[in-house]
Amino acid sequence: MKGIYLVGCYPDADTFTRSFAAVAEAGFDFLEVGIPFNDPIADGPVIAGAIHESLARGVSPSHVMENIESLSHIPIKKYAMTYANIIHAYGIPEFSKRMTGLLEGVIIPDIPNRMARLFREKGFSLPIVPFATLETRESDMAMLNESESNIIYFVGVRGITGSKSDFTTPELVEKIRMIKDNTDKKVIIGFGIKTGSDARQACALGDGYVVGTEAVMRQKKPEALKAYLRSLI
Amino acid sequence: MRANKGFYGEYGGQFVPEILMPALDELEEAYRAFAADDSSMQEFHRYLSEYAGRPTPVYHSKNISAACGFELYLKREDLLHTGAHKVNNTIGQALLAKFMGKKRIIAETGAGQHGVATATAAALFGLKCRVYMGSVDIERQMPNVKKMELLGAEVFPVDDGLRTLKDAISAALKDWVTNVIDTHYLLGTVAGPHPFPEMVAFFHAVTGTEARGYFTTKGALPDYVVACVGGGSNAMGIFQGFLDDPGVTLVGVEAGGRSLAPGGNAATLTLGTPGIFQGALSYLLQNDSGQVVDVHSVSAGLDYPGIGPQHGYLKDAGRVRYTSVSDDQALSAFHELVRREGIIPALESSHALAWALDNAGELRGKRVLVNLSGRGDKDLGIIEQQNGVKR
Repeated sequence: MKGIYLVGCYPDADTFTRSFAAVAEAGFDFLEVGIPFNDPIADGPVIAGAIHESLARGVSPSHVMENIESLSHIPIKKYAMTYANIIHAYGIPEFSKRMTGLLEGVIIPDIPNRMARLFREKGFSLPIVPFATLETRESDMAMLNESESNIIYFVGVRGITGSKSDFTTPELVEKIRMIKDNTDKKVIIGFGIKTGSDARQACALGDGYVVGTEAVMRQKKPEALKAYLRSLI
Repeated sequence: MRANKGFYGEYGGQFVPEILMPALDELEEAYRAFAADDSSMQEFHRYLSEYAGRPTPVYHSKNISAACGFELYLKREDLLHTGAHKVNNTIGQALLAKFMGKKRIIAETGAGQHGVATATAAALFGLKCRVYMGSVDIERQMPNVKKMELLGAEVFPVDDGLRTLKDAISAALKDWVTNVIDTHYLLGTVAGPHPFPEMVAFFHAVTGTEARGYFTTKGALPDYVVACVGGGSNAMGIFQGFLDDPGVTLVGVEAGGRSLAPGGNAATLTLGTPGIFQGALSYLLQNDSGQVVDVHSVSAGLDYPGIGPQHGYLKDAGRVRYTSVSDDQALSAFHELVRREGIIPALESSHALAWALDNAGELRGKRVLVNLSGRGDKDLGIIEQQNGVKR
């Protein structure tokens, strides 16, 4: 499963829509749409910069949700990536209700697996994608498997978005193996995929990947983005 | 104040990237072992007394009492080594970091007091230290920056956002995510993910214990205990001594800044709503769509849009009254204490004092304990600037 992350409504709704379509046309399986929050603690300078730029232009979470709704006809699986407070402020059950049928699930970097339970108790019925990391213990796997999501998001680095993964380290290879051995879900590697070679390695080790920073860097130039997407596939 | 599975009522939790969860579990386990270990606690209290200067006195402020018509007592945390209550927590957590075998500590700082106290503990215990500080705060708290550097810490300027405390915490969290194996994040307030709020409050409980002891010896508890509230650490420190005394009114004073409109203040409990921010669910200054709003205070230690979860709980429970005073009120209380008592208070602590001075009617004849959480040398630049503005 190959995926791309794009910051919603960035640099504007029209350009975003074109980038969105380009990702689907290039043959990717899913798209993650970032809904901006102004304290993005898991994001490096490129994605955080795009988020702040969007917010400064007046983009709100509702705008991005409308954008996602308007793109529902484009045949690609869709996920939203946002921070806990955006959903909390919108209303936990309300957000979930509005996005049901549009999204496969949500990726919330400041909701660790343990806290996902709390969102479910408060009426969040969309699948919350569970995280695995280089620090995940075998004893954590039961909690990951509780999730209704059919993918696990594996954070391939100790760090924030925009860091570089090293797929040759035994630690990473063994960790992915441990996770795959303990789940039926697809293991998607995120954070740290930059090149076609990274992407191929991620597919060999796990069940797919998602690229964020390198795609967001090209969101202002749809032609450059298209060329980049081709280099990944 | 002990959390229930990481929560105080509905507030608290662990809203951080998954990669930090094992580190938080390790920290909680180590903290419980450390707090239950007699020799570790003896060592902690020995450093607090022989190194940091505890117990601090309670001073009956006679001149102001005579002028204002109530009995003002000051808990003199400003007399501690490094000039503020912050050192209780940094000694505690630095000892804990060693206990866990960590070699490096990171911290965030707003006013620089927590940064200096962290750099001090790092020097004392031989730990590598980096302090994240917003570049605006670096500008307005230069003496503390110089102290941290002298102490061997690396002061890392943060140029994101408003370039103040919130941005420094974000940067420190990003560092911790990256270096979680050898690094302990020495968080400076009762905010952040569990177990930080409980643990930081635990290390500061000594303030309340001492204050209560003073009044018990005198035969009567104070009627009011007043503390400033930014992230909430000094207030939790002193309030914990009196939470179970229903006759003692507890007052938390936030930064009302230059206005109560969004962006003009940092009065999180007074004006905010529940939200998830930097590790915890608590009150938050946010707009309708959940974006964190800009904050302002004349005091670099109070301009934080979040607040420790215990305070959210204590507010909803009605145990603590939270209110705010403006920049101008705080500045005028600062000058009042300097001139009438010869004490130069931190601008943070001046907020607590200001509330007492400006509510003399309600306080008439009462015993009022104000937590003088820090000293004001670091603020002289701001004071000069303010005087310049007034002239």
